[in-house]
This record gives sequence, C-alpha cells and structure tokens, in this order.
Amino acid sequence: MFTQYFGNYLLNKGYLTAEQLHDALEEIKDARLKLGVLAVNAGYMTAEQTEEVNEAQKKYDKRFGELAIEMGYLTEEQLKELLSSQKYGHLLLSQVLVDKGIMTLSEFEKAINEYKRDYSISDKEFEAIQSDDVNEIINIFIKFEGSKNEKLLKDYIALFARNLIRFIDRDAVIKEVSKLEVYDCQFAAKQDISGAIVLTTYIEADENAFIQFASKYAEEELSSVDEMAEASVGEFLNLHNGIFLVNLSNQGIELKMTPQEVFKDIKVEKLFKVSAELSFGCVNILIQEH
Amino acid sequence: MAKETFKVLICDDSILVRKKLKEALSALASFEFLEAGDGQTAIDVYKKERPDLVFMDLVIPVKDGITAVKEIKEFDNDALVVIASSSGTQENLKKAIKAGAVEFIQKPWEQEQLSNVVKKFLKKGE
Repeated sequence: MFTQYFGNYLLNKGYLTAEQLHDALEEIKDARLKLGVLAVNAGYMTAEQTEEVNEAQKKYDKRFGELAIEMGYLTEEQLKELLSSQKYGHLLLSQVLVDKGIMTLSEFEKAINEYKRDYSISDKEFEAIQSDDVNEIINIFIKFEGSKNEKLLKDYIALFARNLIRFIDRDAVIKEVSKLEVYDCQFAAKQDISGAIVLTTYIEADENAFIQFASKYAEEELSSVDEMAEASVGEFLNLHNGIFLVNLSNQGIELKMTPQEVFKDIKVEKLFKVSAELSFGCVNILIQEH
Repeated sequence: MAKETFKVLICDDSILVRKKLKEALSALASFEFLEAGDGQTAIDVYKKERPDLVFMDLVIPVKDGITAVKEIKEFDNDALVVIASSSGTQENLKKAIKAGAVEFIQKPWEQEQLSNVVKKFLKKGE
C-alpha cells in the first residue's frame, strides 16, 4: 500500500507524470534493487556519496559495498544490514525511476526527506509504514476532522483496509477521507451499528465496481447487480462490521448491528466518505456518526 | 453399507453464505440441505423437518438468531444448533450459550471448524 502512497506523493510533487508512474508501477516486479537506493533510503549515505562510489567503480573492479566501506561511507555492519534488508515496494519503484532516468538519486533522496518532513514521520514510524503496517499508514495519513470518535474510525478503516487486502484485492489502497453534507450513492450495502457508539456504515460503488467487488468476494463471475451480487457486498460489510464489533467487545465495548441491506440511488447526509482504490475501480466506505 | 445422509438447516439472510456453507459441508459428508433467510422461517422449517443439525446466523431479519435458537430449543430440547456468525462478541457468545447453542463458529469459518462440528455432532462414531 505504501508504494502507491509514495508514488502519488512523487506525482503530486511533480517528480514524474501519471503515465510514468503507471509504467514504473508495472515494472517494479522485475526491478533489481541496488545498494545506492537502499543506502540513501536508510540515511547511511547521501546521493552524492553514492555517485562518488559509482564513479570509483569505473576505475576499480570492485563491488559497490566494498568501495563504500573503503571510502568510509558505510560500515561493514551497515552493509550487512542493507544486503539483508527487505525489498520494499517504494524502493523498487524508486529504483525503476532512477534506472529509467526519470529521477536522479539526489531527487530520490530529496523526495524521501521531504516526505518524512511533510508528514512529520519519525524514523521509527517510517520503518513501520514502509513495511506496509496498515495501522500505522492509516494512523498517519487518514484524518477524520471534527469526529467525536476519531481513534475508533481510524481503527475501523485500518480493519477495512486489512479486510480489503485479505478478501478483495491485495493491492487495495485507502485514499482520501472527505467530510460531506450530502452524497448521492449509486449502489450501496448498508448496516447500522448501535450501543455506546452509533454509526451507519455503507459500502458504495458505481455499478461496474459493485459487480467486480461482489465477484471477488463471492469468488465467482457475476455480470449484474443481482441477488448474489447484493448478498456478496452485503456479507462483506457484515463480516467487516462483525469483526470490528468483536475487536471492540474484547476491549469491553459491546455494540450491536442490524441485518445488512442493499439500496440503489439513495442520498446519504452528513457523512465521512473514505475512498479505496482497487484494481478494478473505486469503492467507498461511508460512515455517519449519530 | 449405505452412505448416511444428514438433514441440515442453514439459516442466514445471505444467499452467498448459504451457498458457501452448502459447498463446504458437501465436501465432508452427504447432506440434505434446508434453507431459511430469517429467524422465523428457520423456526417453522425446524418444526416441520426436524433436521439433524442447524447452522444459525445471529444478525438476521424478522426474528434474530438468539430468539430463533430459544424457540427451536423450546420446541425440541435435543436440537443441535451451531451459531455461524461474524459477530462473536462476548455478549453474543454468552447469549448463544444461554439460549442452548452447542457451538459458535466465527465467520469467516475455516473448513477444519466445520469438519470438527460434523465429526462432533453428526459422525459421532468416526
């Protein structure tokens, strides 16, 4: 998930175009991550130092790591750590961009530092989000301005993201939250939650995304919003809300929920709309606090 | 020896869950399936058909799952009702046990959980 967030950040900051981002994301599975990107990401070397090592490599027949140690830029421990570190998606993306000449290593270094600064992310938090820790990603990037239950809603969305990744699309990305006065739904599954906290929740999408979503969860090809498609999206919402209630119950908060229902063309008022980008389209989760 | 067929009632308001449960159970034994989409229908079907086992959702229309379990147990104290629900909260677990349910399966279920239920309550000698 963080790969897409970082890619969108680079796009918004003008480091690349939408087309370049799209193409680079397609290529990351074949990317070979090099030590320069890893060392800069870890903050062990500057982009300038990696360029110096690259230049030195042209004169001496030695590996990057070996030269970096000889030049005093890396310790043996740091090299060992980098060689065994995980190949995070945003690094593979950056490697593709550097290899294609779309971004220099200096620009990558600048972007990583700007990113941490813009979102006030500590090194520890950055470690968590780059390893796709969904809770940490949601906690940092998703805000419910003016909500009386912000922590609870963040937990709700983090669970939703995990369920999307688990059951629907492993590349699901939670996008922005909008606070709206009114929203016209196309197809929506609805379920009420009541108790100490009272919420109405919806999964909403246009016809095509609703059918695709239903097909994924039902594990069968559906071609229209029929009884099975409605049951599928409704049951996903029911499952998600059920797990949410179990988690709260384990913390001593007992809530209830109503049977799920599916509607077409309804108006929802005073809500938070959280969009999720999936491989087949966009699906929204709508939350009304009462 | 002829293969034993068990009569099972599945009560869930989701046609998808009923379908998935039927598919999953069919891999474990021979079943005759009965279906209900709400609590009242489940009670009515139970009284008429006296199935060997019931899978009951909790959050269902007309009469909820706990009420349905209570009424089925009042009619037949030996009824075997397994709750299969996504909302296995502490409160629901307590209510289900009190109502007389014999097992609680949290959705999404694992095939092994269903297999254990079938072994425990239907294929007892195996």
